[in-house]
Amino acid sequence: MTLDWSIVWEYREDLLHGVLLTIALTVITMIVAIPGGIILAMMRLSRSRILSTISLCFVELFRNLPLILVVYWAFYVMPIVLGIQIAAFETGLIALCLNVSAYNGETFRAGINSIREGQVNAGLALGMSRWQVMREIVIPQATRRVLPVLASTWVSLFKDTSLVSVIAVGELAHVALQIRSQTFRVMEMLTAMAVIYWLLGYPQAKLVDWIHSKFKVAE
Amino acid sequence: MTMIAPKESGSTPSPVLIYEKVRKLYGEFVALDEVSLRVDAGEVVCLIGPSGSGKSTLLRCTNALEPISGGTIYFDGRALPSVDRDIRKVRQRMGMVFQNFELFPHKSALDNVAIGPMTVLGMPKTQARERARALLAKVNLADKVDSFPSNLSGGQQQRVAIARALAMEPEVMLFDEPTSALDPETIGEVLNVMKALAEEGMTMIVVTHEMAFARRVADRVAVFEHGTILEHGSPEQIFENPETARTRDFLSHLGWDG
Ligand SMILES: Nc1ncnc2c1ncn2[C@@H]1O[C@H](COP(=O)(O)OP(=O)(O)OP(=O)(O)O)[C@@H](O)[C@H]1O
Ligand SMILES: [Mg+2]
Repeated sequence: MTLDWSIVWEYREDLLHGVLLTIALTVITMIVAIPGGIILAMMRLSRSRILSTISLCFVELFRNLPLILVVYWAFYVMPIVLGIQIAAFETGLIALCLNVSAYNGETFRAGINSIREGQVNAGLALGMSRWQVMREIVIPQATRRVLPVLASTWVSLFKDTSLVSVIAVGELAHVALQIRSQTFRVMEMLTAMAVIYWLLGYPQAKLVDWIHSKFKVAE
Repeated sequence: MTMIAPKESGSTPSPVLIYEKVRKLYGEFVALDEVSLRVDAGEVVCLIGPSGSGKSTLLRCTNALEPISGGTIYFDGRALPSVDRDIRKVRQRMGMVFQNFELFPHKSALDNVAIGPMTVLGMPKTQARERARALLAKVNLADKVDSFPSNLSGGQQQRVAIARALAMEPEVMLFDEPTSALDPETIGEVLNVMKALAEEGMTMIVVTHEMAFARRVADRVAVFEHGTILEHGSPEQIFENPETARTRDFLSHLGWDG
């Protein structure tokens, strides 16, 4: 079996385009899913039973469905239910946002809940309002606990974006698999794909490790 | 520092807090059963009694961290309000010190003390920090202003917590077992700060198991059991001549022999 690595260089522009879409999917999903997660957590912790239940259902639904199923569902079912046609990229994005928002919602909720009742009481006893206690005491402390988890979610998300290739979103995985089926260079393309994902993912993982050590909670 | 008016001697004492048949229920459970008590300006009242007898509950009800189920608590002549805004105004005038300190771990000692005046009173940062610095000096922590709580001993943390409460210039201080979580060697430094505060004329309610402190510093001692006040009176009376056998039992369990 002869290997022809020039194929990778030949398709460099397509691959680069795929990389950019992968990054775009990751970044945009996080930009949506962080406020999304905060809103879900606030709803969940609010005194309104309705808001809290809606949030709970949303989180438990999307956290427990395989992402690939959500992707297919968004692609085939959502247009019928909503009666609108959505491009593949946006469809993939929506599926990712639903999934990651649910995860982030749980992350923020756990972060806020991890702050002891006594800390809240200490703020209230000074005469602070509930909102001031949130802003000055709970959120700054919760952030330190949430940040490492968000960073891990980020790295998973970066890899999980490859799942939207199944609905022909032209991100890295899809592009690489397309080239493979056109050129029959299976070994080369799968290897190239692995190397690119790894080169992009490894520094992120290292960054996450650093964030984990930096924000380790000291009680 | 002249934050606290000296004890008026001779003139009729004015009540700061009056508890009138205060009840507190947790579901079916009666945590406070018709507790009546009066705390005058400049008085130090120690609450003693077995675990679960309702001492902490009374303190939490005093600054409305818990709503009461019956009776009335008067602060400065007025029943505790029920509207959130008004409750906050009342809390600003009461300082609270917790058993577990509850310092804010993400803030330095200085900012722990300054945060109250800054967020609640809207005091400018420099002025709030100036006040915080003076208060930390007062609790003998002038050299620890920049330390974070995790780098302070328990006794030091509790003194920061006292300074934090004082920063709001409260009219009454509520202490909930302030030395129970401390190593024996740091208990003294906290009690000394509290004693100095009492001598300045601060009105204080202190839940404590430190009988020597109650004996020497308290003006009055109230003995709790099962959500009621078993008896109350001067420390001499409670420690030398307890009226009830239950009080005698409780004191002897603590190894108190007069
Ligand atoms: N949030 C709550 N829900 C239900 N029961 C409670 C609650 N808080 C306190 N209690 C109960 O009320 C009783 C009085 O509690 P409290 O904390 O006032 O006791 P205490 O006298 O301070 O005891 P300790 O010396 O152990 O601190 C206890 O039996 C406790 O279990
Ligand atoms: Mg208690």
